[in-house]
Amino acid sequence: MLRWLIRRVIAAALVVFVVTSLVFVLTHVFTDPAAVSLPLEASEELREARREQLGLKRPLIEQYGEFAFGLVTGDLGESFWQQRPASEIVRERLPATLKLVGGSVVVTVILAVPLGMLAAWRERKFPDHAVLGFSMAFISAPPFWIGYLLIIVFAVQLDWVPTFGSRGWTSIILPSVAVGLASAGRLAQMIRRAIVEELRQPYAVTAQSRGFSRSYTITHHVFRNVASNFVTFTGWEMTRMFTGYTVVIEVVFSWPGVGLMAFNAIEQKDLILLQAGVVVLAGLVVFTNLAIDVLRRTIDPRVELR
Amino acid sequence: MTAAAPAPTPAPETVAASAGPADDASNRLLEIADLTVGFPTRDGTVHGVDRLTLNVGSHERLGVVGESGSGKSVMGLAILGMVLPPGRFMGGSVRWKGQNMLDPAVAERVRGREVAMIFQDPMVSLNPLKTVGAQLRELLRRRAGLRGRAVRARCIELLDMVGIANPAERLRAYAFELSGGMRQRVMIATALACNPELLIADEPTTGLDVTIQDQVLTLLHDLSTELGVSVLMITHDLGVVAQFCDRVQVMYAGRIVERAPIADVFAEPQHPYSLGLLRSVPRVDRDDEELEGIPGEPLDRARLPSGCAFEPRCPESGDRCGQAPPDLAKITDRRWVACFNRSAPPS
Repeated sequence: MLRWLIRRVIAAALVVFVVTSLVFVLTHVFTDPAAVSLPLEASEELREARREQLGLKRPLIEQYGEFAFGLVTGDLGESFWQQRPASEIVRERLPATLKLVGGSVVVTVILAVPLGMLAAWRERKFPDHAVLGFSMAFISAPPFWIGYLLIIVFAVQLDWVPTFGSRGWTSIILPSVAVGLASAGRLAQMIRRAIVEELRQPYAVTAQSRGFSRSYTITHHVFRNVASNFVTFTGWEMTRMFTGYTVVIEVVFSWPGVGLMAFNAIEQKDLILLQAGVVVLAGLVVFTNLAIDVLRRTIDPRVELR
Repeated sequence: MTAAAPAPTPAPETVAASAGPADDASNRLLEIADLTVGFPTRDGTVHGVDRLTLNVGSHERLGVVGESGSGKSVMGLAILGMVLPPGRFMGGSVRWKGQNMLDPAVAERVRGREVAMIFQDPMVSLNPLKTVGAQLRELLRRRAGLRGRAVRARCIELLDMVGIANPAERLRAYAFELSGGMRQRVMIATALACNPELLIADEPTTGLDVTIQDQVLTLLHDLSTELGVSVLMITHDLGVVAQFCDRVQVMYAGRIVERAPIADVFAEPQHPYSLGLLRSVPRVDRDDEELEGIPGEPLDRARLPSGCAFEPRCPESGDRCGQAPPDLAKITDRRWVACFNRSAPPS
């Protein structure tokens, strides 16, 4: 188990290395950070001066070495926009994003598990069709639209929760729901399908042939066997949240997280800060995947130690 | 011809009557009459079992033989009132001691307690994530109503009964830690946990090594005698039937084509399909016979012929055979055959 874990951590570190290198290539080879940070009509002299200032005149490999060393030591460069270390800004923003993703995962699981189980229990009957209908609605509605809808109904009309920002614990509810609904829809369908398929497995047929009811078989036999799929899928949804939904929803709700920061960095043409945001989000995705593997291994002893 | 209704007094002549202990209606445990289970397909409904009639008496070992796809496994589950979707019950009745097993409330009460089933593949028929002990305890607590110390004592007793050494230790094992033969023994132990009166064994030895097959069959045979449990042995293997059963029913395309005491079928098979089955089994005790297969292809269940289902492969088919399926008819005292060429007692 320990050797397996060490191997997994090394693999994860490699992925982080590759992803961050890609980010470096994108920002330093395909774009010119100096030009981007200046107005379009800026003179060539001004650009040269900025390049000099940012150390972009040095060989690429040297710049990369500095970038990589910075990453390892937690230095993500200096934000043009805010004139302070990007790592400092990211550190301020990270808790909000983690909170939002945490809240979204809670919403996703709370909705998806009962709905998926209900649909599987009453396969091909009304509850199954109803769950499918809701799931499709959740999946196909764009999260930003759900976000605005939620704001209009619950924040503006009913005035139950704040319209934006992260003040008070109630403020997390709407953005979490906005992010979590689509994931809940997909996860519910995945759980339903996994359970229905698993119910046809000989051991599940055996359990029912011993007189255990369908619902008992689902909760006490089948669910544990689909739990590793469930963990995997929830993890995927989580990575999706990190890389996509949170950016949109943080913008819609002015939620002060890394996603909103990255969005603002784009607006301000602050490539260094954007790069810092991407690196951190990518790191979170890799870490999530590692956590999924460890969890699956704990749940299901049959998962091979590869 | 009305099929066996629950008869308090011995019915003089019902169509379901047959050779063996189940002849005596008061002795019948299981009565299946005209049971039909359908599976919708693109080409129309396929009948997994088709107007099946069958009885099992107490202390009886009945074999049901047929090739794969003949509906044997569907029948096994149907006895428990179960049918895997998208299949559904389309007619007929399954009665356990007179109670309707197609009523979910009855079926859920009887399943596991009075009728238990063991399955083909012990590799996957035990829950992979629960220990042997957990699976037994769950049954004993929830289905047999045992509590406290009695649970563990019974677990050990059961494993001991099915010939597992070091039962206390084995309780902590997961299925994947056991050999195939061991798993089937555990499977039998879980089936016997609530002292059932009928054990349905669906290909219990398929997938096991030949030596282990023999051990498992012997174990089942001994247990059924010791505990007085009836066994319905579902198999494609005539050797298993010969070794294990008192009486046999041959199944083809979801229907029973022949029903007879075991010795009679082997000595003198009546239905052409039974004859074919026997000829396709190698025998070491005779060297004068050529080994033959049954000509033609196994049936496409979606395109049943309008007449006898075996007609396209039958060496003896005549004019009548293609028109309507023959009914199971009594040809001698203990023998029933569904074939137009055998309807009269053989002279």
